[in-house]
Order: sequence, then structure tokens, then C-alpha cells
Amino acid sequence: MSSKDYILNALKSSAIAPQAMPVFNVAPRIDDLVGQFETNLNTVAGTLHREGGLEALQQKVDELMAQGLQVISMVDGIKGNRAVTETAHELRDIDYAVIPGDLGVAENGAIWVNNKNLGHRVTPFICENLFLVIEADTIVANMHQAASKVTLEKGEFGTFIAGPSKTADIEQALVVGAHGACSLNVYLA
Amino acid sequence: MSNKNSAVHAKKAEIFCRDEARVDWHSKALWTVREKRDRAAGSLPEWEQLRQIGSEMKLHTLTNLGQYLEEFEKNCLENGIQVHWAKDGVEHNRIVHKILADKKVKKLVKSKSMLTEECHLNPYLEQHGIEVIDTDLGERIIQLAGDPPSHIVLPAIHMKREEVGDLFHDKLGTEAGASDPFYLTRAARAHLREQFLSADAAMTGVNMAVADKGAVVVCTNEGNADMGANLPKLQLHSMGIDKVVPDLDSASALLRTLARNATGQPVTTYSSFYRGPQKGGEMHVIIVDNGRTDMLKDKILAESLKCIRCGGCLNTCPVYRRSGGHSYNYTIPGPIGIAVGAQNDDTNSIPWACTLCGSCSYVCPTKVPLDKIIHHHRRLKAEAGKLPYGKSSYMPLVGNFMASETMLNCSMSVARTALKVLPGSLLKPFSGAWGKYRELPTAPNSSFEAWFKKNRG
Repeated sequence: MSSKDYILNALKSSAIAPQAMPVFNVAPRIDDLVGQFETNLNTVAGTLHREGGLEALQQKVDELMAQGLQVISMVDGIKGNRAVTETAHELRDIDYAVIPGDLGVAENGAIWVNNKNLGHRVTPFICENLFLVIEADTIVANMHQAASKVTLEKGEFGTFIAGPSKTADIEQALVVGAHGACSLNVYLA
Repeated sequence: MSNKNSAVHAKKAEIFCRDEARVDWHSKALWTVREKRDRAAGSLPEWEQLRQIGSEMKLHTLTNLGQYLEEFEKNCLENGIQVHWAKDGVEHNRIVHKILADKKVKKLVKSKSMLTEECHLNPYLEQHGIEVIDTDLGERIIQLAGDPPSHIVLPAIHMKREEVGDLFHDKLGTEAGASDPFYLTRAARAHLREQFLSADAAMTGVNMAVADKGAVVVCTNEGNADMGANLPKLQLHSMGIDKVVPDLDSASALLRTLARNATGQPVTTYSSFYRGPQKGGEMHVIIVDNGRTDMLKDKILAESLKCIRCGGCLNTCPVYRRSGGHSYNYTIPGPIGIAVGAQNDDTNSIPWACTLCGSCSYVCPTKVPLDKIIHHHRRLKAEAGKLPYGKSSYMPLVGNFMASETMLNCSMSVARTALKVLPGSLLKPFSGAWGKYRELPTAPNSSFEAWFKKNRG
């Protein structure tokens, strides 16, 4: 008997009483979604730029490039100084990545990013710092709403990103900047 | 399973309790996490509803587990994900090694996976000449220190910053005496970045496996799972059969409670959904039983498979906080460790590392009835004739004794007098590991019952 058959067979002797799938009828909190999003983004150590849109972002990117920093942009309308590399490993010296998010989640400050907009999947993790761009009207109240709206087609990769990488593994002291990006700035387009 | 490091819980707890200041620090650090959890849970009016949904959804999945696992496998295959099934840890390790050996992998970067700890994968791969790098900061610390994890979410919670500083000085060449967490974390970031970039394969655990999509969800705060899985062309994900959930709605509902209950964060920094390998890459999922189907055959033990490994029950447990994660004789410590590990505990002592206070059950985001399960384990040990250190001989006496009001009242009176007149050195041995390095309490003048009769009766 294969291990698969062994496991499936063993499951037939399960002792748990049948349980129906529950209904997920959780009332969303729909007041001031952008405000809620900003509060929670701050909680997870990210910063929201409500004003200025792509123009303000391009200005910021120009300043960074003038300092000699390496910027890759996956957002239409934002021009960096680096193109998508042949291999993922060549992104190791990227200082800033600019990436479009599909939607924001008000209850926790998370932003859904799909691999179609990443070049290499590792881009939002390997960059030293991250800029995410979302449209204000894509912000949903909670994860239940997000689940019905995210794009994750066959074979794809997608991730909710809530703030810069962080750890508290040494004596519970919070340190922002673990293995992924060390900072996250979110621009509303 | 026999373990050469086996020792009864009280014996190992006694070692931890020798340094009272450290025990206090450990307990306080975890209680702070518990308080953060309370604030996060309290911020959602629907918190109790989410616990109920989580519980029912997981139970529903467990009652139809075969069907959901097959659906998950079928959808994975359509997404180009290779699926393997393992009866136990030995088979799991063999499968992983074969996948790695076929690709001539020399270095594997791994993110947190309690399952691979359970299967003892690291030593197995190392024996076969594969270098394994744990990449979660806490896990890397304990790997360099040669320690097992002492917490499922905060694996190095037992270590002080100075100890990490000395360890990093020795292993990573940081400055002698440096113990600033920011400095040490950045040093680890630089060190591990080189490992990610030079790894031949990556391995992660699985927080949820989404049946109707054929996708695995991996959550981290550090980004180590995604740095690993998205650099080398070979990615492996190990999951227990209990990790499958029906759909994205279910996964998202659990994501609402997981981090809030673990650390008080509204969500982990990264909640990543892998529905296929990267371009030109290869992705494998290994589905592991290792005793889980046996647990499903007992309707009380079965409920422990609702667990989503947030660690909330550890942080709230008065015994865990004061005995440390290394005292449990099992990879997973605390209430959930007792629930899923007691059947493998050759010391037959861990079901008693519990006051049955029930705090764990009240904080659990999927309503695992932990205290009920732990109590059930005591019964199973008794029925199997495996009661520890004389419990089988004196417990029936204790039972008779406590059932008699006169005898109980009389003995409590004797105990109060003894606390007043006898020297601590004579009494302390009776309090076991707990009292050895602490002072005994001051005895009240009367029993609570007498006080109540006088003041409220």
C-alpha cells in the first residue's frame, strides 16, 4: 500500500462527529478605510503617503538615484535606474524597489502583491527598501473581503505585505529590518 | 520513541528554576506577549465569532480530511507542484533527501517548521552531507548554540542578549561584548543574506494548505521564507495533514487570528501564497502523517489537530512560563506540546506539567480544548499503567483523602501550622521543583472556608 493510500485509509477511522462548514458572516468595519489602513500600517512600521501620488514618488526616486542608489521600478510611470535582471540573484544590490500593490487591507495594513508585477518573485524581499503603490479605492475592510478580491491564478505567487521585515527574536526587542526590506513606504496613486 | 535526554518534567524544570531572576524574566517576557495578544484580540468586536469560525472550519476540514487532501493534491499537480505523502518522520526525511540528492544540493536554507523538528530532519540531512541553514533569526541562534527551540514562535526566548552576543562573537565574528539587539540582528542579516544567495534549495513549513487552489501559505515576519523560496530554483514545503483548509476564505479567516494571538500584531509581515514554482523552478510539497491519523481516532485528542501553532497557549501557561520550553521532553513545549506529544513521552510526566487552570483553552484561536485534552492524557497514561513516579500508588489515596471534608480540613490546618513553625529547609522538599529555589508563602491564619463563614456566611 502506498503511503497516500495508507493515510487516506487511516482517515476512514476518524472519530470526530461530522461538522458543517460555518458561514463567514462577519460584519466589516467600513468607516474611514484609508484612515484605518494608515493606523494599522503605522502599527506594522510602515508609512503612508496620502498626498502627491506618483509625482511625489518620482521626485523621491530621483533624489535617491542622484545619491547613486539603485532603484528598480515595476510601476508604470515611475522611472528607476535598473531593469529586471536575468537572474533573481542579480537583484542583490537593489536599494529600492517600487512595486504596484493590487489592494490594501484596512484592518491590518497589508497590501496584496501578485508576481505578475514583480519581475522576479524575490524582488520585494531582496531589496533593501520597498515602495508600494496602491489606489485608495482598492482598500478593503478586512481579510474576508480581501480573500474574494485577490488575484492568484494557476501557478502564480502572491503575498500580503504588512510593513517592513522585522524580528523580536533577541530578548523580545523589536528590530525593523530582518531578512526582507528594512523600510516600507506606501504611496496612494 | 526513546530519547537519551529524557527526564521527567519536574526534573528539567528544576534545572530551569535554579536561576530565579531568569525565571522571573522569562515569565514576564512571555506575559508581555500575552498582554499584547489581549489588546489585539480586544480590538476586534468579532473576536469570539472568529474563534468559533476557526474552530468549526478546522473541525469541518478534519471530518472530511481525506477528501480535502485529495482535492489539494489534484490542484497542486495542475499547478505544476509535485506532491509526496509520508507515513512518518523517517519516510519524510527520506523523501526530502532524495529530492535534494537528485539535484545534487549541497546547501539548504530552511525557514521555521516545527514539523521538520518533529521529524529530526536537520541531523538526518547533515549525516548525508547536506548543509542545513536555519534562517529564522531565533532558529539560527539556537542552531549555532546547538540548542533545541524552547518556544514554537519565539525559539530563542530562553536566551539573554549577552548570551546571543557571545555566541555571535564566537560564530559570526561580531564585536566582543556587543549585545545590542539591533547590531546583532543586522549582523545576522548580513550573514544569512550570503546563505540565501548561495543556497541550492529552500525549505519551509506550511501555515495553511488551500485545497481548492492547490496553494501553500507561509507566514513570517522576517521574510526569510520568501528570501529562501524565491532564490534557488528548488523549493520544498513540508506540511502535516492537519494543515489543509478548504479555500482562500478559510485561510484568510485564520490569518486574522494567527498573528494577533501569537504576538499581538494585526498580521504577520508576509503571508505568502505559493500556487506553483517560479519560472524554471521546481516545487515540492510533502504531506506528513507521523501519528496524526492515530490522534484522529480518539475524538478528544483529535481536536488538538485544529491547532494553528500560534503559541498563544505557551505564553499564557503558568507552568510553561516558569519551567521553560526545554523541560517538556518533546519538540513542542507548553499546553499544545503536551496535547500532541504526550503519547510519545517516555517519561510519562508531561501531562502533569499543567495546573488544569484552562487559560490555554480560553486564549486558543481555534478553541482547542487543551485542558480537557491534557486531562484525557492523564487518564490514558493511567489506563496504560504508566503513571509516573509513584502517582499510581498515592493518587488513589489522595482521591479518598480529598473526597473527605473532615480529613481535608484537618490536613490543611496542619499545613498552615507547619508553614509557621517548621523551618523552610524541612518543608521545601515537599513543594518539589517549584519550591526549591523560592521562598514558601506566608500561611494565612485560617482556612478560606472559615474566613468565608465568619465574614460572608
